[in-house]
Amino acid sequence: MMGRLMQAEFIKIKRKGFWFLAFLGALGVVAMQMVNYGVRKDYLFTQSEDRWGYYLMNIHSFTPLAIVLGIVILTSFLSSVENETNAWKQIIALPVSKRMVYLAKFTVLAIVLFISSFLMGIFTLLYGLYLGLGEAIPSADLMQYSFYPYFASLAVLAFQLWVATVSQNQAIPITIGVVGVIFAYSASVLPDWMIWKWPSLMNEWNDPMINVWWGLGAGALLYLAGMLDFTRRDVK
Amino acid sequence: MEYIVETKNATKNFGKEKAVVGLDLQIPKGEIYGFLGPNGSGKTTTIRMLLGLMKPTFGSVRIFGKDIKKEKIEILKRVGSLVENPSYYPHLTAYENLETSRKILGVPKKRIHEVLAIVRLSDAANKKVKGFSLGMKQRLGIAAALLHQPDLLILDEPTNGLDPSGIIEIRELIKRLPKETGMTILLSSHLLAEIDQMATTVGILRKGELIFQDSIETMRMYAKQTISLNVSSSEKAWRSLLAKGIKAEFEKGTILLSERSNEKVAQAVSSLVQDGFSVYRVQEEKKSLEDIFLQMTKEEQAV
Ligand SMILES: Nc1ncnc2c1ncn2[C@@H]1O[C@H](COP(=O)(O)OP(=O)(O)O)[C@@H](O)[C@H]1O
Ligand SMILES: [Mg+2]
Repeated sequence: MMGRLMQAEFIKIKRKGFWFLAFLGALGVVAMQMVNYGVRKDYLFTQSEDRWGYYLMNIHSFTPLAIVLGIVILTSFLSSVENETNAWKQIIALPVSKRMVYLAKFTVLAIVLFISSFLMGIFTLLYGLYLGLGEAIPSADLMQYSFYPYFASLAVLAFQLWVATVSQNQAIPITIGVVGVIFAYSASVLPDWMIWKWPSLMNEWNDPMINVWWGLGAGALLYLAGMLDFTRRDVK
Repeated sequence: MEYIVETKNATKNFGKEKAVVGLDLQIPKGEIYGFLGPNGSGKTTTIRMLLGLMKPTFGSVRIFGKDIKKEKIEILKRVGSLVENPSYYPHLTAYENLETSRKILGVPKKRIHEVLAIVRLSDAANKKVKGFSLGMKQRLGIAAALLHQPDLLILDEPTNGLDPSGIIEIRELIKRLPKETGMTILLSSHLLAEIDQMATTVGILRKGELIFQDSIETMRMYAKQTISLNVSSSEKAWRSLLAKGIKAEFEKGTILLSERSNEKVAQAVSSLVQDGFSVYRVQEEKKSLEDIFLQMTKEEQAV
């Protein structure tokens, strides 16, 4: 059933620019560094012995912003597809449980964001190679900067999907989303417990892996809460 | 008797507002059940409870003898529905819209072509629904409801907002369905004439309460038309009719004949003319839904 529900979700996002956005987000993060390095490559090269490491840090300075922004846009897309003509009532009246419907939505978003993160990793690598940052490619760091922010942001995804699916007024998830994007951009001044800080991979112990675990743990809890709330509510 | 839909004391409150009150709905197999009530009387709320979209505040809902609370998915496998305004994905074609439901229902692809043919949308299969007229969207909604060949079809005001030709088209379509497939249909409307033309059994809802549930023939007794006569010195004229044993009522200056056959009307008119009264108008009066409500509640109180 899950497979068929997800196929249905993928049909619905056709022609909505969903995939294009996933591609654009990934490219955008690297494009910021294309501009940066394009303008002042020589200067940036003098900033650190570890040119790859320094480049990856620069890339990463925009990743949290892009991911949180992407989450806000994609979740509101995916719920607006149903809200536009109140299609919720039509799906929920089909022989399928509300939990499955919710899970399908979450999974589609998680997949699209994962693909976007993967693409960002590829673009990062390709531009890094083009810049000639050195022979030894730090593949572990590359993986970390591509995928850790993704896992660390699953809590934001679960939260945003919850708000977007249960809000009658779509201004609410958008407003919360915009505030979240601002939070993600000011991660360094946020306390560790705020979910919007986690994609930055910063914490007081300087261990990015902690944010991954938090993202997965709190993401699971927020997902569960959202799903139960969605299941409990009447469909208009 | 076997009921396809049976609710007991189904009640839905929205905060303090009582939308549906103590509803005991009974829909026999193979009927077209006309669910009649003015706007805001609770038809859509009832239908949402039948489909498990809303949980009743009290009471139970059983469909095919199963409790919707316990066996919702089993029930919904055999129910097709169209609730309120049609829902669709405007950026997708008619075919793609049906495909999203078909995937979940797990029926063969050829059903899409079959249901599109049933609602006469085959030519528009590959057009985006964005550009469809309301009637076409409504028919697409019915097509989606028919995909899995349901045993119970629930249509909530399917002709609402359509132009006359659209209304006729949907009406013909609905009448055709149970004959062909033996399905039971629940059809809601706020228009008496619409239910009168399609339904075999009728339930009438008023302010959330079911005030009538019986065969269409019984309802027609209430809805029966009367002949009204506008005459000179009307009260005297009415008495002269009664004196001759012609059944009539007197209301707001007009005489109402309860028997409507041609002979009886002719007899009444000629008797009035012979007695020297002038007959200005002879009219057939259709009762509105409100009139029937009044009559039903009046008789209820009398009993
Ligand atoms: N989701 C809701 N929240 C609050 N009140 C509602 C809701 N849905 C319906 N109502 C109220 O319940 C009553 C019945 O509405 P409805 O079932 O839509 O009537 P109908 O379909 O017969 O026009 C109305 O007074 C309406 O305002
Ligand atoms: Mg309604």
